[in-house]
Amino acid sequence: MPANNAIMTSSEGAAARPRLSLRRSLGSLVRPSEAGLKASHFRRPWLAAGLLAPQLLILLFFFFIPTWKALSLAFVQVDPFGGTMIFVGLENFTTLLSSPEYRDSAVLTLWFTVVQCIATLVIAGLLAFATDNVLRGRAIYKGVILLPYAIAPAISGVLWAFLFNPTVGPFAQMLHELGLGWDPNRRPFDALLLVSVAAIWKHVCYDYIFLVAAFLAVPASVMEAAAIDGARPVRRFLTVTLPMAAPTIFFLIVMNFVYGLFETFGIIDTVTRGGPAGSTNTLVYKVYQDGFRQLDLGSSAAQSVILMAIAVLFTFLQFRAVERKVNYQV
Amino acid sequence: MASTYVKSITGLLTAGALLMGATGAHAADRVKIEWWYAISGKLGDTVQQLISDFNKSQDKYEIVGTFKGNYEETMAAMVAAYRVNQQPAILQSAERGFMTMLNSGAIIPVDQLMTKQGYKTDWNDFIKPVAGFYIVNGKPAALPFNSSTPILWYNADAFKAAGFDAPSDTWQGLEKQLYALKEKKITDCSMALPGDFQWSLIENYSAINNYPFATKANGYAGLDTEFVYNKTGVVGQVARLKKWVDDGVLKIAGQGVAPISLFTSGTCATIINSTASHSGVEADAKFKWSAAVMPHEEGADVRNGTIGGASLWAVKGKSEEVQAGVAAFFNFVAQPATQEWWSKATGYVPVTNAAYQKMKSEGYFKDHPTREIAIEQLSRGEPTDNSRGFRFGNHNQSTAILIEEIQAVWTGKKTPQEALDSSVKRGNEILRQYEKLHAGK
Repeated sequence: MPANNAIMTSSEGAAARPRLSLRRSLGSLVRPSEAGLKASHFRRPWLAAGLLAPQLLILLFFFFIPTWKALSLAFVQVDPFGGTMIFVGLENFTTLLSSPEYRDSAVLTLWFTVVQCIATLVIAGLLAFATDNVLRGRAIYKGVILLPYAIAPAISGVLWAFLFNPTVGPFAQMLHELGLGWDPNRRPFDALLLVSVAAIWKHVCYDYIFLVAAFLAVPASVMEAAAIDGARPVRRFLTVTLPMAAPTIFFLIVMNFVYGLFETFGIIDTVTRGGPAGSTNTLVYKVYQDGFRQLDLGSSAAQSVILMAIAVLFTFLQFRAVERKVNYQV
Repeated sequence: MASTYVKSITGLLTAGALLMGATGAHAADRVKIEWWYAISGKLGDTVQQLISDFNKSQDKYEIVGTFKGNYEETMAAMVAAYRVNQQPAILQSAERGFMTMLNSGAIIPVDQLMTKQGYKTDWNDFIKPVAGFYIVNGKPAALPFNSSTPILWYNADAFKAAGFDAPSDTWQGLEKQLYALKEKKITDCSMALPGDFQWSLIENYSAINNYPFATKANGYAGLDTEFVYNKTGVVGQVARLKKWVDDGVLKIAGQGVAPISLFTSGTCATIINSTASHSGVEADAKFKWSAAVMPHEEGADVRNGTIGGASLWAVKGKSEEVQAGVAAFFNFVAQPATQEWWSKATGYVPVTNAAYQKMKSEGYFKDHPTREIAIEQLSRGEPTDNSRGFRFGNHNQSTAILIEEIQAVWTGKKTPQEALDSSVKRGNEILRQYEKLHAGK
């Protein structure tokens, strides 16, 4: 599983290197025995620091400073222009957690993310499995599946919204002719379905690329052995390919969660604007709505702190729970 | 290698500097004044025309106008810019953001600016509903710029086919007409719900029928105001709209299509939308259309509607010469000739009596009768505490809540009374939060 291995090592490396460079820059203060073998590769600590600097700067500007800003705003109520500020302690948090709208949004986000994650994986898996069995025009087949990824989320969102608009959308007219009362402006389920489908459609291609690569990486000898033993394609797929692709699938589950939680913002903004009555207002979209539309910066900051905690927790749980069952050896 | 590289870079820089010098020769001694505005489409083109007219009219200042998205996006951009001292000199801000701007500490009241820069503006000449909104303690805080009010647009062909000359002036009469349009199969969509329906069908409805929207004269008399619209005719209005939506008489445009385009394309026979739709409707509607004042309840004590649109704010933290330029531009905008041109080009209300009288005496309204409807609606009856306007802190937030709660009525999750009770309760929390933050202002 080349893709996955590369990612694992690079993330381990990123965690390990700052520690080493720090020690080297502290010089002889650190006992050399603890520095280990790897540290001796960096004779010149400034080189290591220089190589790390771009990444650390990116982290500084796009993670540490925003995090600090969010934390500093989460415990105050503030005039948008910064003229007046009142420290309110945990009030922003207690108000949020006791508000039914926020709880609804949390439940909705969980539902949306899980459904999106599973559906995207299953559809991408089927398409990737089918890729092996497409004989003619495989390049076209792959190209068509990958197309949605090239379309900006806002543009695809507008298209989905228009196509399924109950008053003017051609697909909505078709649904009406089938006798379905399709109306995402008035039926929360329709709105949620539309947003989910748009989000899945956009992300299937991502999962698909990784799965095709993972399936291709299964050694032919193993597959042939299974075939000789009498396993048919579907059985070979389920008992040989899938387990061997497990690390990739695990990686995709994490990525799908990140996508569902944080990156569906553009689609929601264009397809439903979080409506009707908050039925597609996910946690991330709510942060934007409250912070940037309504300028309630304190509450918005508190929400992003909660969201950050959720993201950290989820990633931790996923790595703990799933990693143990994943076989990284090929 | 290195030296040739350095040489070519210096060469490029010199060339660039020369070019800058050549093009900047005229503009170099002009003071650049940044203006962030929030209207787009045909209205945006008109704004650019206004800017270029001003820039041509004198050679001291140059207004640089930038479209920053809709009103909310422009405000968010302003907030972000102000915190890092990158704010523009002029900001166009919607009536809903009035309190936020007024108490922001980021603005120079327009009257103060004009007096300091030696301009004499006759604030008494601004038409009553406009002045009533922007004047605080006898002095205007911002320059009224694009002022509008919602009016009832209708497809005259469709109305004629159904046997009506014009829309009824009461909601009860209009209801019968809209249902007749549908029953006679003249249209499948009798009315389109505007995107800013809370402004037209709720707030203006409340003002026109002289219902209190909130205590303390709708917020004019203090920050300790409380919403009360869950105890007035607004509840019945929401119930009526819900019935229309359920019966397919009133259509919600939703995302992906602008509600006004449902009207101009002929899909929907009526819409209650801003008078500023004039330029768009005139260009796009391929049928005989007309407009009328918004309906009222039968037997209501009918009053004026309230204004929407936006005003221009002079932003703090700019040099003396930039401020002088802002004042010069404001003076240009307030001229009757500019007002007249702007109103004709856009459909916005002429905000000064001078401009209005000029247009009237020219016979402009005889040729364009629908252009006068907004003024007629804005000056119906003597303004009361219920109809003067709305002054709520963080009005954007309570508006978003109101919209969300009314959407819950469309979906059937809540009854009109439940939704408005909840909307008032949540809205009052916003008002208390604002009051706490701005105590003593």
